[in-house]
Amino acid sequence: MIEQVTIEGIIRILFVCVIITAAYIISTRNLLSVVSVYALQSLTLVCIALALYFLEGSVVLLAIAGVTFISKVIIIPYFIATIQEKIRIKRDIEFHYLSPTTSLLISMILMLVIYMALSRIVVGSPSRENLFFFGAVLGISLMLMGMMVTFSRKRAITKVLGFLSMENGVLLFGMFVTELPFIIEFLIIIDLIILVILTTILSVGIDSTLEDYHKRLHRFHLLDDSEEVI
Amino acid sequence: MIVELFILSLVILLAGSIFPLITASFDRRFIRTFSFSCTIVASLLLGMLSLMTLLKGDSVFFILYQPIPGFSLSFVIDRLASFFLFIIAVVSSCVALYFTGYIEHENGSTRRNLLCSCTNLFVLAMVLVVASANTISFFLFWELMAGASFFLVMYEYSQRDTIKAGIFYFVMTQLSSLFILLGIIVLYIISGSFAFLHLSPVSAPLITLAFLALFLGFSIKAGIIPFHKWLPYAHPASPSPVSALMSGVMLKIAVYGIVRFLLDVFTPDLWWGVLILAAGAASAVLGVIYALKEHDVKGMLAYSSIENIGIIFIGVGLFVIFTASSLPLLATISLLGALFHALNHSLFKSLLFLTSGSVVYATGTRDIEHMGGLSRSMPVTSALFFVGALSIAALPPLNGFASELLIFIAFFSSVTVVDPLFKVILFISLALFALTSALSAACFVKAFGSIFLALPRSQESAAAREVPRTMLIGPAILAAACILLGVFALQIFTIVGFAVPLPDMLLVGLLLLGMAVLTYGALYFTASHEVRISETWGCGTLSQKASSEYSGHGFSEPLDIIFSAIYRTRTKNERIFFDQKNCIFKEGRGEIRLLKVFEEYLYRPIAQQSMRLAKEVSRFQNGCLDTYLFYVFITVIALIIFLGWFA
Repeated sequence: MIEQVTIEGIIRILFVCVIITAAYIISTRNLLSVVSVYALQSLTLVCIALALYFLEGSVVLLAIAGVTFISKVIIIPYFIATIQEKIRIKRDIEFHYLSPTTSLLISMILMLVIYMALSRIVVGSPSRENLFFFGAVLGISLMLMGMMVTFSRKRAITKVLGFLSMENGVLLFGMFVTELPFIIEFLIIIDLIILVILTTILSVGIDSTLEDYHKRLHRFHLLDDSEEVI
Repeated sequence: MIVELFILSLVILLAGSIFPLITASFDRRFIRTFSFSCTIVASLLLGMLSLMTLLKGDSVFFILYQPIPGFSLSFVIDRLASFFLFIIAVVSSCVALYFTGYIEHENGSTRRNLLCSCTNLFVLAMVLVVASANTISFFLFWELMAGASFFLVMYEYSQRDTIKAGIFYFVMTQLSSLFILLGIIVLYIISGSFAFLHLSPVSAPLITLAFLALFLGFSIKAGIIPFHKWLPYAHPASPSPVSALMSGVMLKIAVYGIVRFLLDVFTPDLWWGVLILAAGAASAVLGVIYALKEHDVKGMLAYSSIENIGIIFIGVGLFVIFTASSLPLLATISLLGALFHALNHSLFKSLLFLTSGSVVYATGTRDIEHMGGLSRSMPVTSALFFVGALSIAALPPLNGFASELLIFIAFFSSVTVVDPLFKVILFISLALFALTSALSAACFVKAFGSIFLALPRSQESAAAREVPRTMLIGPAILAAACILLGVFALQIFTIVGFAVPLPDMLLVGLLLLGMAVLTYGALYFTASHEVRISETWGCGTLSQKASSEYSGHGFSEPLDIIFSAIYRTRTKNERIFFDQKNCIFKEGRGEIRLLKVFEEYLYRPIAQQSMRLAKEVSRFQNGCLDTYLFYVFITVIALIIFLGWFA
């Protein structure tokens, strides 16, 4: 078997990967690469789950890794990629409340705040738990960063990706802290897939902002030639 | 025995409420008659059990339903509760009797079934409020009462005035509930229980807060000035029997609330009594002054209700003052006066509302300037109204006189014993109270004169006919009760076991009767018996016209001038000129309007401020998804910070 210290080292490296991908999702304006970065983030999570399996030997972790791999690395990115082929706009440059730079700064502050808050809540945990503590901090931060994406971007497709990234944060938190029951994790994934499928179905309007999309749907019922409307 | 009777009457009322609801789609007379029969039967049962409790003087406690420990729907029927149950029983049976005839002439086809249902529900709710043994069930049924009465007010919902009145009433009544809930919660914090527990006499700020909240809540419901504005809107808008129930009974439930809390929960301070007394005196005087000015018959009765509630509050205030200065005898007299006046007011005010409902039904108008001459076409109604007017004007030997006299006696006896500062306060209140009595007599002279005497001032009034017999029996019972309660006031107090310093009203009545007979006889024998045919009050004119009569406006004009400082008019002049330099006059418009002081200086500014605040708050809800996500984000972060540093 691989030594415990090595695995912990690997997990730490993977944590850094997660932060980098999250930061990229927050800051990039290029729509095309966001999906691949999301797939990469999910893959990192799969790796973390596998590493944890080696550390703890719980079969549930293996199952989580499998399900995550199939759904988040293959199916969901595939659907979103299909959407992206349909839409014309490749760049997302409209923002609400926060610009990417500010978002990055805020997410750094957020991580710090969460670290401090959690260290006050969990006082005197043993050194072995240190890794798990760090995972929890990262999980919450990832969740909040995803949330920041959902409200600071105007494009619907980026909002969806933000939401997916939020869910990754929940998964990360669950793996390290609460031992989320597998069935709940599974149901969340089904929810996500349905969400993405819905997005695909409604992809007529996915390239627009949400406000615009309402109008478009409205017209859609009245007129049939909706493809001409932009 | 009492418990079974009580539950039986509840069940009957519930049946009377549910049956017309189930059959709401059938427009049949027997449904409504059945429903009102339920009210009458239940009222008779309630009257019986309340008389039993009143005479025996013992109290019954029972739990109807207990879902969780610490909270139960439990009832207590003691003397205080049964006294108010008696008020409910008498008035609602007479009103229901009247309603059976009245409702068939209302328009609204099947909607009338709902009116029956709501009336029963309303009576049921009032019964339950009065019998409640803990604050939480008191509040629950209080809300039920508020809801049922709101639907009753909104009966003619298609009319603009009714909608305004209904919303006004709803807002005020909910405000009242809010304050009562606050009071109940504060009491719970103090005592840790929802029961009516007697608190220790320590005057803690929390206890004061609870009292103030409850006082405000009950004052709003009772229509104490300046929270009175819903009354003159709601009463003209709702059907007359509903007004009779609301003014006759519902306002008394608010009085019951305040008396119950003062007796069973608080150990009142002296200044609480002064507060209640001041509120009562202000309401009494201002209420009657506004009533004088009112020409809508039901609006006038509404203002008169404010006045009478003021008188009841004066009695309650005196009770608190005397209790706090440890004068138990005077305290008992003033409380008895207040309670007796509550009973009397519920009798004569519902009598007046019912008879004025008959008048409105016969003439089709509520403006007393368009009535007149009805004593000839509606003799019975006018006689009944006359009895009501005499009672409310507190003329001996009727019941209004007896109860006001009790309060006067309490005032007079206090003068020698209380310390100087309170002497001044009591003197001022006494003066105001005396003024109120005089003015209310003037008010009802005007009302009776303009509605029933002289010549008809409109075609509708000339064509009016007496109402059907079903609409006369109910008021007749009430009128008989007014006379009996007045004449036998002393005997009644003796039977229930209180010695009050009232004169024997039977003797007074006989003396007055003897005086009247003597006067008539003397005049009959001394006056010349020559027959002279001319018109009464004709002042020499040969063919008198209705337009040259002394009108209601004319009657109240001198008083208008005396109280012009209170009425506050607003004069508006608009002039338009032909040229730009305003030399050649083209046309103009002048207007003198009565200023609605409380509405314009109190209610409207508050409403405007709250609207402004609401507009500020509503900016948070802008319909944009991103904003809402942003709120969630902020909340999550706030939670994390709270958990980390403050939890």
